[in-house]
Amino acid sequence: MIQVFNLSKSYARDSAAITDITFKIAKGDFVYLTGPSGAGKSTLLKLLYCAEQPSRGQMLINGLNLTRISPGRIARFRRVLGVVFQDFKLLNSRSVYENVAFPLEIQGRRSVEIRQKVYQTLKVVGLEHRLNRLPLELSGGEQQRVAIARALVVDPLVLLADEPTGNLDPEKSEQIIELFRGANARGSTVLLATHDREIIRRHPRRVLTLEGGRLVDDRSP
Amino acid sequence: MRQSPFLSVATITTVAVALTLMAIFGAFVGNLQEMARRWSRDVQVVIYLDQPPGQKTLRTWLDHIERQPEVERVTFVSQPEAFNRFRQRLGDDADLLAGMTPDILPASLEIRLQEDFRNRQGVATLANTLRSNPAFADMRHGQDWLERFESVIRLLRASSVVLGGVLLFASLFVVANTIRLTLYARRDEIEVMALVGATPFFIRVPFVLEGIMQGVIGGGVALTSSYLLYRAALSQDMAVWLRATGLEQLLFLSPSAQVLIVVGGGALGLAGSLIAVFRLGRA
Ligand SMILES: Nc1ncnc2c1ncn2[C@@H]1O[C@H](COP(=O)(O)OP(=O)(O)OP(=O)(O)O)[C@@H](O)[C@H]1O
Ligand SMILES: [Mg+2]
Repeated sequence: MIQVFNLSKSYARDSAAITDITFKIAKGDFVYLTGPSGAGKSTLLKLLYCAEQPSRGQMLINGLNLTRISPGRIARFRRVLGVVFQDFKLLNSRSVYENVAFPLEIQGRRSVEIRQKVYQTLKVVGLEHRLNRLPLELSGGEQQRVAIARALVVDPLVLLADEPTGNLDPEKSEQIIELFRGANARGSTVLLATHDREIIRRHPRRVLTLEGGRLVDDRSP
Repeated sequence: MRQSPFLSVATITTVAVALTLMAIFGAFVGNLQEMARRWSRDVQVVIYLDQPPGQKTLRTWLDHIERQPEVERVTFVSQPEAFNRFRQRLGDDADLLAGMTPDILPASLEIRLQEDFRNRQGVATLANTLRSNPAFADMRHGQDWLERFESVIRLLRASSVVLGGVLLFASLFVVANTIRLTLYARRDEIEVMALVGATPFFIRVPFVLEGIMQGVIGGGVALTSSYLLYRAALSQDMAVWLRATGLEQLLFLSPSAQVLIVVGGGALGLAGSLIAVFRLGRA
């Protein structure tokens, strides 16, 4: 499902955020991406959802070559992705409901279906009582769950999550991981960046470890 | 999409000011044109006769003149008629004519031209034909100054096109930049939409629609304020001045020009937002 070959990315000329990374993730897999702060986890994910362009190397998702994708097709490609951003990236002028409904509206789904889907997903993340709030009226953890709901609501082919439990207590973190496991069980391929060792210990899966922009470990339980 | 009220007001105001100026200028030129039209309707060729003609001669002349293709109507003004008219025009000063007889004023033939011939060419052709009769030596017409007046109007109209172009261009520039500020203020939101998979088209359409709407509102404001100015001008005591120019009524913009003001506002908003949105694409 995800194939990465000799991928490199440097923001500035002399410092590389990602250096020569190669790996494959099969359809339906659940993979952790870990490593110390500044290792390049977010950068790798940004490359995968086409927010940054690689300096070198190739990436394919679902057979689509992302290194040669035209700007017009990026939008279409992103619709099969669910992305949980490290800084949430919610639409702050829109309500919780509208934020979660947005990806479905883009896809042109029928409004009955949108309403059902949004309620269902918000219930899953435990925010069904916050529908009409604006994101900035929510706690950090609640905002994070809105971001997760928005990623899950489209039943994504690939789910990319950047520190989705960063602001949550262990109990909530556990619930969130259950959400991702559920999405994975329904067919989404999951790549989850985290430096929460506890989560990985409790739900052991394949782990990719980055350090200084290099892939230093690729281990399956 | 919810936009900052300040920027919306800025766009609407820009469009309104530009279009109000254009409406006022348009109404001004329109009134001058109407004035010229009325004056040209009065353009006549007048032939002063040295000797009042006999009945029979007069009949022949009138027939001859009326047969000319340029002529709409010809009227004979006898010496007593001319005298009476003159006395009426003097009004209170009519006693100046005390002791004078009608034969101090010449009889005349007043010729009204067909509408198509009320110009230099038409008058010249008619004059050439009629000059073959030695009795018609003293022929007068007010064509030259009218032509001059019309060329002034043409100049005004040309400069109104130039002025309008400059105004439109300037306001387009301001509108495009204001909408660009709006886009800039919402760049985070735009980025998020794109990251979640919204196409550039989907993201931009609301801004363009908003631009059109603000433009139409600006056009409406321009129409309203220029109409209020027109009413204000009417309520000033302008009747005397207007009658002197031959206009019975100060005219407002024609209905089609009124529609054009509002549609023009919409077009300004459309063009401005398209420019802004196009630049976003390149940024
Ligand atoms: N937009 C950017 N411009 C320049 N340098 C950047 C940019 N984004 C990231 N970097 C650099 O690239 C390196 C990798 O950053 P990245 O955000 O991918 O790390 P990370 O593994 O996600 O860290 P964290 O766990 O703290 O989120 C860092 O050295 C960072 O300073
Ligand atoms: Mg990161």
